[in-house]
Amino acid sequence: MKADKAVEDVGESAKVAGGVTFEWLRQAEDASLLTTPARPTATDHGDSSFSVIEEFNYWRMQPDLAEAVAAIKALTAVIRRSQASTMMGLEIELKNASEALKAWDETSIPLSAGCDLFLRYVTRTTALEYEDIRAGKARLIERGERFGEISQKARRTIAMLGQDFILNGSTILTHGFSRVVLNLLKLAASNGKHFNVICTEGRPDNTGAKVAIELLAAGIPVTLILDSGVGYMMEKVDMLLVGAEGVVESGGIINYIGTFQSALVARSMNKPVYVAAESYKFARLYPLEQRDLGPSPCHVEFVEPVPEDAKVENTARDYTPPNYLTLLFTDLGVLTPSAVSDELIQLYL
Amino acid sequence: MYRPSSLLSNPPNQDFSLRGGSDEDNLDNSLEAERRYFKLRPGFATSDQTMELCNPYHEDRNVSQDERDFNPSSVTFEWLRQAESASLYGGSEDYTRPVLHHVRSWGREVVREKPFSVIHEFDAWRKNPELAEAVAAIKALTAVIKRSGASTMMGLEVELKEASDALKAWDESSISLSAGCDLFMRYVTRTSAIEYEDIEAGKARLIERGEKFGDISQKARRTIAELGKDFIVNGTTVLTHGYSRVVIALLKLAASEGKDFNVVCTEGRPDNTGAEMAKELVPAGIPVTLVLDAGVAYMMETIDMVLVGADGVVESGGIINMLGTYQTALIARSLKKPVYVAAESYKFARLFPLDQRDMSPAPRHVDFLVPLPQTVRVENSARDYTPPQYLTLLFTDLGILTPSAVSDELIQLYL
Repeated sequence: MKADKAVEDVGESAKVAGGVTFEWLRQAEDASLLTTPARPTATDHGDSSFSVIEEFNYWRMQPDLAEAVAAIKALTAVIRRSQASTMMGLEIELKNASEALKAWDETSIPLSAGCDLFLRYVTRTTALEYEDIRAGKARLIERGERFGEISQKARRTIAMLGQDFILNGSTILTHGFSRVVLNLLKLAASNGKHFNVICTEGRPDNTGAKVAIELLAAGIPVTLILDSGVGYMMEKVDMLLVGAEGVVESGGIINYIGTFQSALVARSMNKPVYVAAESYKFARLYPLEQRDLGPSPCHVEFVEPVPEDAKVENTARDYTPPNYLTLLFTDLGVLTPSAVSDELIQLYL
Repeated sequence: MYRPSSLLSNPPNQDFSLRGGSDEDNLDNSLEAERRYFKLRPGFATSDQTMELCNPYHEDRNVSQDERDFNPSSVTFEWLRQAESASLYGGSEDYTRPVLHHVRSWGREVVREKPFSVIHEFDAWRKNPELAEAVAAIKALTAVIKRSGASTMMGLEVELKEASDALKAWDESSISLSAGCDLFMRYVTRTSAIEYEDIEAGKARLIERGEKFGDISQKARRTIAELGKDFIVNGTTVLTHGYSRVVIALLKLAASEGKDFNVVCTEGRPDNTGAEMAKELVPAGIPVTLVLDAGVAYMMETIDMVLVGADGVVESGGIINMLGTYQTALIARSLKKPVYVAAESYKFARLFPLDQRDMSPAPRHVDFLVPLPQTVRVENSARDYTPPQYLTLLFTDLGILTPSAVSDELIQLYL
């Protein structure tokens, strides 16, 4: 089919350009045919009460689905309901939907990273000549639908790559709640490795308790410490392993508040800092300091009442510069922070 | 750097800002100075002069006062000297009056003398919010002397040692407690080396010193506040961790002088020290921002200096303080912010930790606010050790010291 050949051409031309193709797309082609069923909504056309935000919320509530993936599924639904007769028209609709999603939750980096990536893919695809708008749409929908599996596959890839870094008898410190990290640790444990994990309390979301419950179920010994105990414990720790909400152009990461602190303490004691992040988290951002990130306030509940005149700094995340990171485990491979910007250029060029 | 021995060469009434603001302080000082320092002659056997010559806190008793002045490394127990001028009351209390309490006996309430327990005494003193633990320990030991039936100084010493061991065993994790006990025992041992004809006179002397210790602690805080406030300039942002009355005194003094600065307090889990500090500082008109323990590195770029108290200052010049101080100091130094410690000299302890676990364990209960599975372990140490390379300066009542100078001071104190 011409459409297939068109995609092959894309692959060839990208290869010739010496870059990295959309590896996850390739994985989609290999991925199993178990597609998650499309949302059973009324019709494909003319549902006037359709809201991309509603769709996104529906997908986001699936327990194992990352936010970027939920965004892409929502945009796929937009394509399904689109009545555009040309690819350009479709593109414009998608752009509007993407803007709406981003405006709805301005603080979420995975969301905007996912939207950007999908739009970029769409723009590239529409550069090809599809005689039939329907064929084009079908192709895009198929890709979007398979994104769910890609995200699972990405986590498996990262787990397989990362587990070799965990040795018997090592102590791993982790901060924040990341499903990628949990997968990695569970895979290592199921391969018979003996190690123990230290989790920080993770105020104010109590991420430590959540991680502890998951890991104990997998038979991994867990110790909980307060956020202020990271320096105290660091001499006993062999490595710091965290997830990421976003990976930025400098190779640094944006993650739960306290990650920067843990990475700084780890590096001053010469402990390696590993980050496990899927490639769709790579975002077009370049923060220069902590306040360059958009504000993302979270509600902090203090145990003891605080005087009214006291202000509270309630950011939910911080930026860890690349010089504090050792390696990033991604589904594109194990990268150093400096290699991340190369990858990003390839992805977005 | 301010030298305490310069006190001796200056007439006491002159512009010596460290002396308290009240006239009484100056009055005491001038009288005592005259009595003690200007009539000193070696070999003269009056009890006062024997006192001074044999004052155990003069580091080298054979060195005359002049030599002592010029010797830059001689430091006396400054706080003891301050005690001599600090007291607002002249004599001692009647130490022969027993403590009474009500008991039931044969169905009726009667008043009996309470059986003495040094631990009860210590507990009672400790409840006073203004009193530091080391001071409470010394007051408890003073009470032991009051009630002692020993007829020789050696016997008194033995009783005190038993009491001191009992206190230390009762709360093994408190460094300031053992530092206070050690200091007072050292003073007693030195004093008993002197020949007191009269055991009662010797006891009276020791009790007087112990009683004045309470004032010393207040004066030490004032001294530290006076020394440290100059480091805070308009527009400074100060980060603090843990709850320290010395730090609060310093900040309040700076604020009362009209300086404009703001303070960032860490939440201080699980003791909620951040809220406690905010409660003290906000009424003094100081703007306070609370930040999570995990947010210290996030805030550090906006901060100008870190100011903490200490539970104990160790021989290496490092400090032992609430858990989280170590990482705060580490982050501050990596981002090139100065770290200042405000600690009184009686917190100097005879310890030399080589890593975090070298200190005696001080566990405490941590409430994680969510239900946890049974098999999870919890690391619940209450404090950590900050090595000296992360500290910039220590504000003490012996002056402003660098961490390396601390070991010199300790040698002087304990030699």
